[in-house]
Amino acid sequence: MRLKKFLSVALATAMTAALIAGCGGGAAGGSTDSAQAPAADAGAAAPEAPAADAAAPEAPAAEAEAPAAEPSGEPVTIKFQYWADNTDYSQLMQDIIAKFNAENGKGITVVGEEQPWDGGAYSENLFNAKMGGSDVDVSTWKLTSTPLFVNNDLLVDLTPYVDAWASKADIDDNIYSVMKQAGGSDSAMYVMPWNIQVLYVYYRPSYFEQAGVEVPKTYDEFLEACKKCTMKMDTDGDGKADTDVYGFGMRGSKGGQEPWGSFIHAAGGSFEDLTTTDAIKGMQDYIDLYQNGYAPKTAPSDGFQEIIANFKSGITAMTVHHTGSSKEMEETFGDDVSAFAFPAGKGQWTSMGDTETVIFSSCEHPAEAFEWVSYLAAGEGQKMWCEGTGNVPVSKTVAQGDFFQNNRFMKASLDGESFAGILPILDTTTEWISTVWPNTVGQALAGQITAEQCMQTLQSELYK
Amino acid sequence: MNKKKSIYPYLLVAPAVLVILCVVFIPVCNAVLMSFQSYDLRRPKNIAWIHFQNYIEAFGDPLFQSALIRTLLWVLFGVGFQFIFGFILALILNQQFRGRGVVRALSMIPWVTPGVLIGLMWRWIYDGNNGVLNDILLKLGLIQEKIPFLSEVSTAFPAVIVTIVWQGIPFFALMLLAALQGVPQDMYEAADIDGATKLQKLFFITLPSIKNTIFVTVLLRIIWVANSVDVIFNMTEGGPAYSTQTLSVYIYQKANALNLGYASAMAIILALCLLVVVVPYLKMNFSEEK
Repeated sequence: MRLKKFLSVALATAMTAALIAGCGGGAAGGSTDSAQAPAADAGAAAPEAPAADAAAPEAPAAEAEAPAAEPSGEPVTIKFQYWADNTDYSQLMQDIIAKFNAENGKGITVVGEEQPWDGGAYSENLFNAKMGGSDVDVSTWKLTSTPLFVNNDLLVDLTPYVDAWASKADIDDNIYSVMKQAGGSDSAMYVMPWNIQVLYVYYRPSYFEQAGVEVPKTYDEFLEACKKCTMKMDTDGDGKADTDVYGFGMRGSKGGQEPWGSFIHAAGGSFEDLTTTDAIKGMQDYIDLYQNGYAPKTAPSDGFQEIIANFKSGITAMTVHHTGSSKEMEETFGDDVSAFAFPAGKGQWTSMGDTETVIFSSCEHPAEAFEWVSYLAAGEGQKMWCEGTGNVPVSKTVAQGDFFQNNRFMKASLDGESFAGILPILDTTTEWISTVWPNTVGQALAGQITAEQCMQTLQSELYK
Repeated sequence: MNKKKSIYPYLLVAPAVLVILCVVFIPVCNAVLMSFQSYDLRRPKNIAWIHFQNYIEAFGDPLFQSALIRTLLWVLFGVGFQFIFGFILALILNQQFRGRGVVRALSMIPWVTPGVLIGLMWRWIYDGNNGVLNDILLKLGLIQEKIPFLSEVSTAFPAVIVTIVWQGIPFFALMLLAALQGVPQDMYEAADIDGATKLQKLFFITLPSIKNTIFVTVLLRIIWVANSVDVIFNMTEGGPAYSTQTLSVYIYQKANALNLGYASAMAIILALCLLVVVVPYLKMNFSEEK
């Protein structure tokens, strides 16, 4: 009886503990797939912290081993992880891998493994996997993740490889600078450029015609166009102008900070200090667009899927995205869709969506891995990927091709390239993007806080 | 012989107990330890013991406070309505009618659908531009213009509560139906002879007979709903303007941001709150043992 009681107690205690574990698991990474990884982190990261201290940041493990600039020629397998936005891109990547494997002539075999982007969870899952001992050698990348991985000594410094690379000059120096900034160093470069996406404004020429507006050349004209394009229209061809069309397809959910940044800069603000009068004015313009009814009422919760769906269904006259969606826009509207770079006000800025590659410090064959990432950066891999996806190439040679010179969306991208930038990459940026920005801006759109309060919160949370 | 007989069941249970102890207690210990550290993997070199600092910070954090209150409302309305509608469904399914088996099977669909799928499905149902709910309400003439259910602070939280209620009704119905079928029919017959009304039979026979099942089901559901993240996260990610951010969602967000120390502290607080529910549950189990 006593034993029975004891077991009952043990089971009941275990159930109680399960609650905490559920929460602890949540605390350690949430539900489903990510729940287990941080539990591994807990075990793995703690002992690693001193090791991180021991290894001077200036001399990460991979750098300490003097990099072999040339591959050995021995048969080597490189495990490459990537995400693809759709099944066409998945196949394209597999085609590039197959071509590289067949033609590299150095015994290098790349094995590509696709993982979902999952609204940005790709990077978190990758971090958890690497901390748990994943054997991935190379991965596609977003700059915002760099500080986290660098702080945990997970990336190879690519500087010696790039310096010895014959095609180094084919990529603009300022792109290398952005890569270095992301790693928090002026000398070490942990990220290899691959392709960029420059955000521009999609618009419907037929809507502009009906509203009597020209393609905006200034920020004020753009705001005016948002106002004028908000109207009743016949979008389903039934002869009745009974559909509410909104001038601007605002993205208030995660990812919306990119188009929002254009408003802040156009009003004269900047990311360095979001509390200046000009930056607050940009925020107020953004709020006014929503509160005056020039953006859909769903804007505070609209993400990528929604802004694209709204534009494609004719509900919005303009929205901001990049060439990644241009193919489907053309398929939907034919010639009745075009694009322009976000216009200048006091300042001008647009978001440079970035995609790069990295080599992990756990990779046993970094020289061979570099052969692969350099093939994606300036070789045939660059041409195939950028032509297939419509992304802007980083290779100057590839960018000169007819495909990129004769495309109206690519032209809008190239028009914006000179003032394209990225959010400050800090260790707070990921949380700021995924939670702080959408909710704080949501409070401002709902009228719960003023533009000034909103910007003060955004500033303090980004630079805390 | 008797001794062998008494040990045998415990030997059967032992592997499960061992696994639970290993799988559950190690993460629990980790969570407790992390809650006393500045365990932020974004700044791994700054990890240090900070005693109760995470807990103090949590109680001073306006987002934590509002999330805690919202969690109470989430559980109160979520579980409350699940019970009411689940009980009604159980009473209906307890009646004899043609196709009862099919209806019973179909009514289980929300419960067997994954939370992630439910979140995505209801997100599109509620969509302010293309959602079917707006379409139906417009066609019925109940609204004049579309309502952005998940985009407005005033409607987002009720909308996610409706979703969790929809998901949980079948569980209540299933548990209560099983209990209802165990209520002896002769008690109803005796009540009929005494001239009891339907309401009197409900309150004096049905409810007292199934009260233990109600108690256990409500307690279990409170624990599950309080810890639930999937539905809210897939519908609103805690927005707009934090209006659907429950404590478990906030914990998830902080953990995803790799601030594991702070997230663990909040998780411990949530677990302690849930002890209010767990203790009566354990007490009841012990009293049944006796």
